[in-house]
Amino acid sequence: MSEDSINDKWPELKKFPESVEKNFISSLSAMPDALSESQIRDWYQQGISLASQTVRSWESAAHFFAVSPSVLKSMPYSYFEKWMECGEKLCNESPTLASAYFESSPGTMSQLRSRHIEEWASLGDQLYKGTWKSSTLACRFFVLSPILLSQLSFNQLQTFSQFLDKLAHRSYDLALECLNLGEQIFPLVGEDKDAFLSLATALVETGWREVKSFFDSGAKALPRIDPDERIRFLQLAENLVKNGGTNIPGTMLEISQSLAELDQEKHSVVLALSESLLEFEPLAMPDFINSSPMIFEKLTTSQFGKWYEEGVNVIQNNPDAGIAYFKVESAHSENTIEMLSSGIEFDRIKTVMEMYCRGLAGAEIKLSSTEALVEKNIGWVSKNSPTTEGSTVFVPTIVDRYPTKEENFAWFKVVSTHQVAHLEFGSFIFDFNKKSALFDDLRAILEKKQLDAIENSKKSNEILDESSSTTEFSETSQNLEKAWISDMQRFFNLFEDRQLSLDIFTVVESARLDAKVLVEYPGIKTFYLQVQNDSLDDRPDIKELPAREAIVEFMLRVSLQQYEGVSIPLKYKSEIQQIIQIMKRVTLHESLVEDSAEASIRIYAIIASIPNEDIPEEDWEDPSFDDEEDYEDPDEMEQMLMDMGMGMEMELRPEGEEDYETMQEVEYRGDFKPELSQLMNEMRMQQQDQSGGAQGDPLTQDQLKELLENSAELDMQTVQGEIQESSGVFADNLIKEAGTNLPQSPDDNQGKYVHVDEDGGELQPGEPETFVYDEWDFRAEDYKPRWCIVKQKLMQEGDPAYFSSTLNEYSTLVTRIRRQFEMMVPEMLRKERKLSDGEDIDIDDVIENMVDIKAGSSPDEKFYWRRNKVQRDVAVAFLLDTSASTAEAIDEGKGRQDEWDAPDDPVEYMVWLRTRRGQQMRRSYKRIIDVEKESMVLLINALEAIGDVYGIYGFSGYGRENVEYYTVKDLQENFSDKVKRRIDRIAPLHATRMGPAIRHTAHKLNQIDARTKILFLISDGRPQDRGYSREGVEKEYAVHDTKMALDEAKKIGINSFCLTVDKSGHDYLKTMTSDMGYEILDDINDLPERLLVLYRRLTM
Amino acid sequence: MTTKTLYKSYIIEEYQLDEEPYYVPVGDEIELFEAAYRERLPLIFKGPTGCGKTRFVEYMSYKLGVELRKNSKRTDDSDSVNLPLVTIACHEDLTSSDLVGRYLLEGDQTVWIDGPLTRAVKAGGICYLDEVVEARKDTTVLIHPLTDHRRMLPVEKRGELLEAADGFLLVLSYNPGYQSALKDLKHSTRQRFVSIEFDYPPLEIEAQIVQHEAGVDEKTASQLAKLGEKIRNLKEHGLGEGASTRLLIYAGKLIASGIPPRRACQVSVNWAVTDDHSVQQSITEIIASIFE
Ligand SMILES: Nc1ncnc2c1ncn2[C@@H]1O[C@H](COP(=O)(O)OP(=O)(O)OP(=O)(O)O)[C@@H](O)[C@H]1O
Ligand SMILES: [Mg+2]
Repeated sequence: MSEDSINDKWPELKKFPESVEKNFISSLSAMPDALSESQIRDWYQQGISLASQTVRSWESAAHFFAVSPSVLKSMPYSYFEKWMECGEKLCNESPTLASAYFESSPGTMSQLRSRHIEEWASLGDQLYKGTWKSSTLACRFFVLSPILLSQLSFNQLQTFSQFLDKLAHRSYDLALECLNLGEQIFPLVGEDKDAFLSLATALVETGWREVKSFFDSGAKALPRIDPDERIRFLQLAENLVKNGGTNIPGTMLEISQSLAELDQEKHSVVLALSESLLEFEPLAMPDFINSSPMIFEKLTTSQFGKWYEEGVNVIQNNPDAGIAYFKVESAHSENTIEMLSSGIEFDRIKTVMEMYCRGLAGAEIKLSSTEALVEKNIGWVSKNSPTTEGSTVFVPTIVDRYPTKEENFAWFKVVSTHQVAHLEFGSFIFDFNKKSALFDDLRAILEKKQLDAIENSKKSNEILDESSSTTEFSETSQNLEKAWISDMQRFFNLFEDRQLSLDIFTVVESARLDAKVLVEYPGIKTFYLQVQNDSLDDRPDIKELPAREAIVEFMLRVSLQQYEGVSIPLKYKSEIQQIIQIMKRVTLHESLVEDSAEASIRIYAIIASIPNEDIPEEDWEDPSFDDEEDYEDPDEMEQMLMDMGMGMEMELRPEGEEDYETMQEVEYRGDFKPELSQLMNEMRMQQQDQSGGAQGDPLTQDQLKELLENSAELDMQTVQGEIQESSGVFADNLIKEAGTNLPQSPDDNQGKYVHVDEDGGELQPGEPETFVYDEWDFRAEDYKPRWCIVKQKLMQEGDPAYFSSTLNEYSTLVTRIRRQFEMMVPEMLRKERKLSDGEDIDIDDVIENMVDIKAGSSPDEKFYWRRNKVQRDVAVAFLLDTSASTAEAIDEGKGRQDEWDAPDDPVEYMVWLRTRRGQQMRRSYKRIIDVEKESMVLLINALEAIGDVYGIYGFSGYGRENVEYYTVKDLQENFSDKVKRRIDRIAPLHATRMGPAIRHTAHKLNQIDARTKILFLISDGRPQDRGYSREGVEKEYAVHDTKMALDEAKKIGINSFCLTVDKSGHDYLKTMTSDMGYEILDDINDLPERLLVLYRRLTM
Repeated sequence: MTTKTLYKSYIIEEYQLDEEPYYVPVGDEIELFEAAYRERLPLIFKGPTGCGKTRFVEYMSYKLGVELRKNSKRTDDSDSVNLPLVTIACHEDLTSSDLVGRYLLEGDQTVWIDGPLTRAVKAGGICYLDEVVEARKDTTVLIHPLTDHRRMLPVEKRGELLEAADGFLLVLSYNPGYQSALKDLKHSTRQRFVSIEFDYPPLEIEAQIVQHEAGVDEKTASQLAKLGEKIRNLKEHGLGEGASTRLLIYAGKLIASGIPPRRACQVSVNWAVTDDHSVQQSITEIIASIFE
């Protein structure tokens, strides 16, 4: 069509910008042929009238023409007219809006029934309120309609737009954001859009500010929930909204997170109970859900139901108690769980079992959970396998494998007993050179043969190839020459297949220990055997294993007392017979860990000569052995050792042989790592040696790394990363764990024993209230004269209310202690005899008097007696460690973090903040110093009852010229409000220089006239300060000075007692307090009570 | 005279042993005692309760008495040669008169009665002052002149100085365990004695003792000894002192008379050593492991 003819036919087009005409022309040809001339004309007219409406409405017209053909494709002409009409109406209101309408029409119409055209247009229209912001929203609504409709039904779209409309009343921005989020969220909501939308609408009414985060969190929360249960989840949330719940989005996130921690099949259980909980106390519902994962760890589903029901009982009587119950923040709730569950939790039995282990092993053993060990990342990776590394026994956090508590506890005991057996019966004190009790010792011979073989191969290598690099063997030999190799390592170096030898040794040693336990502890025999027997259930099918592995497996079964029903490869029957005899010997009473080693060598020799091949099904049989015969070393032992020494088997290995793979461990025996354990022990010892007087070169980090890489005990695959890398990590962690300070390179340890503060000289006390004291240098065996300055200050004054609130908090204890202390008073009423006047005459003394008269010797006229309040003549000074370390939290696990965001609205924010603060105040963690303070309060309360002279002092300091000494209550001072105020201000300060503080206290006590003088030191750890104890190198210095200070006190008649909460206190306290008393508190929380008990005991 | 018992609550035992007391030596204590006795050096026994101190001194007095008799065969009056053992349990009301002696009225007359210490001094026996720290400090001073070369006991009331008979030896016992700071031996006292340290015997010996004393079989005895060892491992963890040999013997006796072992240990050992509930539970578990 030429331009002219267009101009003729559609003259109005020229009035508008070019694009109108252009779009019209191109669409015209695309309009269906079926349209009549008049219909085309109507269409044209419609466009022109749009374009003519306002200055800028030509744009809408351009859009109108552009989309018309495709719109027409999805509807009959009659509806097309409706569509045009709607467009016109919209354009009347706003051309922009109309543009958006037209633009999104092709997409929308393909998904929308034509009859909904008008309604759809009016949805957009309703959103438009004539303002600029509302226009943006309405336009956006049209633009997104196609996408939304792909997710929502038209009805739902209506609900959504109504929701937007409502929200827009509050905030257009928010409505717009929600509209945009809809695109992401609806696909996630799945089938439950109605519920979601109704919840959203409900939220607008109750807390419209949360709506956006509701969309946000909805997008995160919903995918976590079983798709079938999402609707219930949403309904719960809506219910919460209706019942005045706040922070719905945060709550949704939280509870969805909790649900996500549960297996999906549990969702319906939890949600069903949650729904029924709504009837009683809707606000408890989130707590209930949030607690459920933790509870499901302990309870079965039916037990869970019972726990819930008990909670409902509680909540009906007292809603607050019910909420606490469902949060599991009430004793009742915990006890209910404990009562219902058959499982045994580590935490609940820790104290008892730790003591049990200590009793058995006779060492300062700690009991800890395997999780803690895995976290240390020092080579142990399994969270379920009990184990020990020589000083701590690790057990699983929870045991719930048997139906009853008794059995689970018994399992715990079996496991602990087995682990402790490693320590009790000396698995880790293996000594390469120590004679075994029951075998001819082959270790040294084998080592010699090995060295010879290396020597020879070196020689021949030199002949063959001068330039050849060192072989693998010579590396081993270098290892052997290093002083730094544990005996266990040296032993395993004897074997070519380290894994195989480790497995053999593990089985043999476990068998030895089990035998010992069964003899020594007949009381747990029954269950021990049952656990052994139960372990058989998880064993692999022996017939599937290649020969070597099968034999190791067989050994293991024997060690678990399974003598029947295990098949063995027929052709190795005599070898196996021998192995059994060897193992049997190890279970004899006299056997030592060295016997396990010797047995392992022999068994290894036997197994190493067997190729690790698959055995055909028919070659297996159930063996029967006559166990009469006793094992004797075969004649060819010499040859076998020779072979082993040369590492010959490698070359002899047949084709098709498989690599030896390690056996599957037995759960109750756990993860036995003798090499690593010994290494750690030695590192710890090295640490101690160093501070005493070094012997031998210390192990360097690189050496340690190398040692670790050689070990078969580190399953490097289990740990991500390169072997090189992870052994480095292990090395670092091990060093930390052993508490050693290994030098990076051997030569940076010069000046090791130079005391940091060696330079500088005597100090002069300048200001008043400062005192100067000598310090004992144990290396020089002499005092450093006038070395430390003690600055005495009065403690600042704080709030006296602290005093009474502490007494309130401990009211039961206070009453009890007060009673005990008051009972001391009659005890102190002593009958005083030989008085010239008194309550009554003493018959004995009267007789004596008469006798004296008769006998003619000078009679004693004093024969009255009286119950006299004997002056309790005790003066005691309490010296409190207020060093920085006392700021440590006592129970770090409790410090829970709250995740949700602060609300935006200032008013809500204030409310939120206040409740949060309140919670923190109540829940705030306790520090060591807090317990010290509380103890002082109780102490004062008790001491005031008996009237002893007492003083309370705190000390800390930084450096020798600055030992801070704070008086809380001076010895001569009377108890007053001031003292109460000062207690409140006791706070952690700096370091712990004990010596001068003790000297100063002794000095004070010395000025008091009392028959009994006591210095009571309460501390949280060893003495240390800048220049007083260089950590890791010279802790000794401080300990010795402290000891000397205590000795000095003793010389002037002051008795000392140290009470500390440092678990590792035994090592230095013994030295420090030598003859005097000390006690280590296992639990700092016992401090108040213990302190008083000790005080009573000390002064009676 | 009932009032008398009110404060005269001490027990005086004066006896010579006719039968050899059962005693199993643990270390070199017998040689030490013999050597000290030869030189008449006073002794102090340090050690926890129930570890055999009293038994040891009984044993030694018998043993030395027998030797004395043997050596004096020639004189043909072996009966008169003996070594009596005088044990005095100390307590805080113990006065010097209680030790040395006092006049009593007898009709018109006053009669001097020797106190146990005087008797021992005169008879030339071994005087064993049990738990000496319990005694008043002024009482302990009384023994000072007895312990140096003078070997004299001043009897003030009678104005005489008594020289100890040749066989006399002073032995103190002292439990350094959890002592009150108020009660400690004066240095000047402590330094006059040779001290022998006692501790609970090692497992095998203790088993042997328990077996003999309680009359139980070997297995039970060694189980009891093992229990003792394990409980002592818990010292300093809420246990002031470990289970004494004496307690183990008690348990053994109960077992011998038919009480089930776990129960017997529970009542005689566990509840005696601690009040701490969790320590008790731990010990219960140890008992349950050791005994069927
Ligand atoms: N070496 C031993 N040989 C034989 N019996 C012993 C031995 N050690 C302890 N006993 C037994 O232990 C019991 C308690 O010992 P004994 O009464 O001598 O204790 P003790 O050290 O005097 O205690 P305490 O300090 O409480 O007086 C004795 O009756 C005895 O049966
Ligand atoms: Mg005794």
